[in-house]
Amino acid sequence: MILLYDGSFEGFLSLVYKVYYKRLQPNEIYKILPNKILFEEIIEIETSKENSTKVLNAIKKNFNKQSLQKILNIFMCDTKNFELDLLSFIIIGFKDKNELFNINNPYVFSLNTLEKEFFRLVHKMYAYARFEELEDGTLYAKIDSKFNVIYFLAKHFMKRFNNQKFIIHDVKRKLAFIKTNDFIGVQEVASFEVPTYSQNEEKFQKLWKSFFNAVSIKERENLKLQQNQVPLIYRTYMSEFFNEPTKK
Amino acid sequence: MRKDIYEKMEILSNSAKYDVSCSSSGVETNYKKGELGATHTSGICHTYTADGRCVSLLKVLLTNFCIYDCAYCINRSSNDIQRAAFAPRELADITINFYKRNYIEGLFLSSGIISSEDHTMSLILRTLKILRHEYKFNGYIHVKLIPGGSMELVKEIVELANRVSSNIELPSDKSLKLLAPNKTKEKVLQPLKYARDLSLEKGKQPIGMSTQLIVGATPESDKDILKLSSVLYDKGLLKRVYYSAYIPVNDDKNLPAIITKPPMLREHRLYQADWLLRFYDFSYDEIVSEEFPNLDEDVDPKTSWALNNLSYFPMEINKVSKEELLRIPGLGARAVAKILNARRFKRLGFDDLKKLKISIKRAKYFITCNKEFQKQIPFYKDSIKQALTKPPKKKIYQPSLFDIEYSAITGEL
Repeated sequence: MILLYDGSFEGFLSLVYKVYYKRLQPNEIYKILPNKILFEEIIEIETSKENSTKVLNAIKKNFNKQSLQKILNIFMCDTKNFELDLLSFIIIGFKDKNELFNINNPYVFSLNTLEKEFFRLVHKMYAYARFEELEDGTLYAKIDSKFNVIYFLAKHFMKRFNNQKFIIHDVKRKLAFIKTNDFIGVQEVASFEVPTYSQNEEKFQKLWKSFFNAVSIKERENLKLQQNQVPLIYRTYMSEFFNEPTKK
Repeated sequence: MRKDIYEKMEILSNSAKYDVSCSSSGVETNYKKGELGATHTSGICHTYTADGRCVSLLKVLLTNFCIYDCAYCINRSSNDIQRAAFAPRELADITINFYKRNYIEGLFLSSGIISSEDHTMSLILRTLKILRHEYKFNGYIHVKLIPGGSMELVKEIVELANRVSSNIELPSDKSLKLLAPNKTKEKVLQPLKYARDLSLEKGKQPIGMSTQLIVGATPESDKDILKLSSVLYDKGLLKRVYYSAYIPVNDDKNLPAIITKPPMLREHRLYQADWLLRFYDFSYDEIVSEEFPNLDEDVDPKTSWALNNLSYFPMEINKVSKEELLRIPGLGARAVAKILNARRFKRLGFDDLKKLKISIKRAKYFITCNKEFQKQIPFYKDSIKQALTKPPKKKIYQPSLFDIEYSAITGEL
């Protein structure tokens, strides 16, 4: 049996509801049907506000806070097929919430591992996100990441740039966190124009690049180590790596 | 000739690069509403240079003019190199602009000594004041205190910085006298002692301090170095000691020849030993002894300790305490946490460790899981060491072009 849902958190909770009340036993769960021949029964789950709220309230009531947080974090890993594991996790939790801390349980362990991967990525993005200054002083960062990290980045940079206006733009997910004087929050970005950068921008990028090259010790050069630490996938928007050699 | 800002940056960061310390960790988050910048407890590495080292802070010298003539230092007064200096405001502006672009966690400010110790320190202090008071900057600031500076200036800097340091560079007074005739250990440690006393006075959390030791320029053994570090940690004087493989930059009759390669492996082993001191509750004399004053380069210090103390092993991972688990070679803090967590629910076997993705490549020779023990290698020091350093290679069979044991047409055997 294959379940299909719309990819939203409410959609997934509605799916949990259906699984419980219709005693479904899915073998696979998809957001979008894959491009291959499927011989099994396909059930499309309708997203229902009512059902999802019921499930969410039940989870809030029965689970520890950490477990709920874990479910939310896992949901940010939108490029991974976490649904079956997460479904099992929730089912286990309703039976015995303490079992959710038993890392010998394969579902718990696999979600823990995924959550760890997620936080590793979040930490990398804290480090590798790069802002550029726009004409009006707003700091603008384009990001491109495997998982949806924008909420965590927003929280992090709200502390750092508390007196600045800034935008974090997840290009592929078409989401942006915006902080201006009169708006703070995440918005969908339908289309956007290339912004005008401040006059200083080029100067500081050049200065940064000259610093970056000067602090490296030639006798210790180790491009392989460098690439392990900053894999090419992160370098898209990191100006210091433009036109730099990579590992042979 | 006036240098432009890019040239200055190149000269002054180039001169600062031999300072290893570049961490921004270990401080409480301190953001304030309406201000700029916050520190991050775990520290953040914002990029990695071509030598694979982390860049966390804008690491520059305020100036590389220097009145001292230390033999190992690239900026010594007798060297003919390009010199430059930042104005305090200029440097503060760069710091703020780098920070806003998320290039750095903050500033690592060091300096050559221009005209006098106190003059240099007051320039540093001015930079800090602009950053903290004028720009309301709460990011990380690390200042290298100048040996021989006055207590009043140290006091003001300690109040504004997140961490201060003073580099001992050489592990003994004798070497210092030889290579850095203007410095003594006393003089180098003096600002750190000041800083400690100041923060103790106020009863606040003492400011984090660190130092750096050069490895391989002088004949001291690893024992001398680790003993020194251990003493400094025990006295609560320092949070960290950095080790820097000596890279020859000057030709000097008292130094190793300029062609020698930096002793990178030795540096690595020293860091491993240092971690054992700080996080694994080892004491230095467990790691190095009178008899073997240097660390074994073939195996890491923990393995080396275990091999010399086989009587504690094999340990049953379902029984022994956390402290004992931490002494098993190849198991780090994370693996230990996983084991402690998992064994509350069941008795662990080798399979369970595998499922928990705990690597037992090294640990397997030193543990029993549910009374089970690996069977390939006998429990003797030499055979375990042999197995750890030279694992049996898998034989790769390369068929020759004219091997005709199989059909040339179908490829069947």
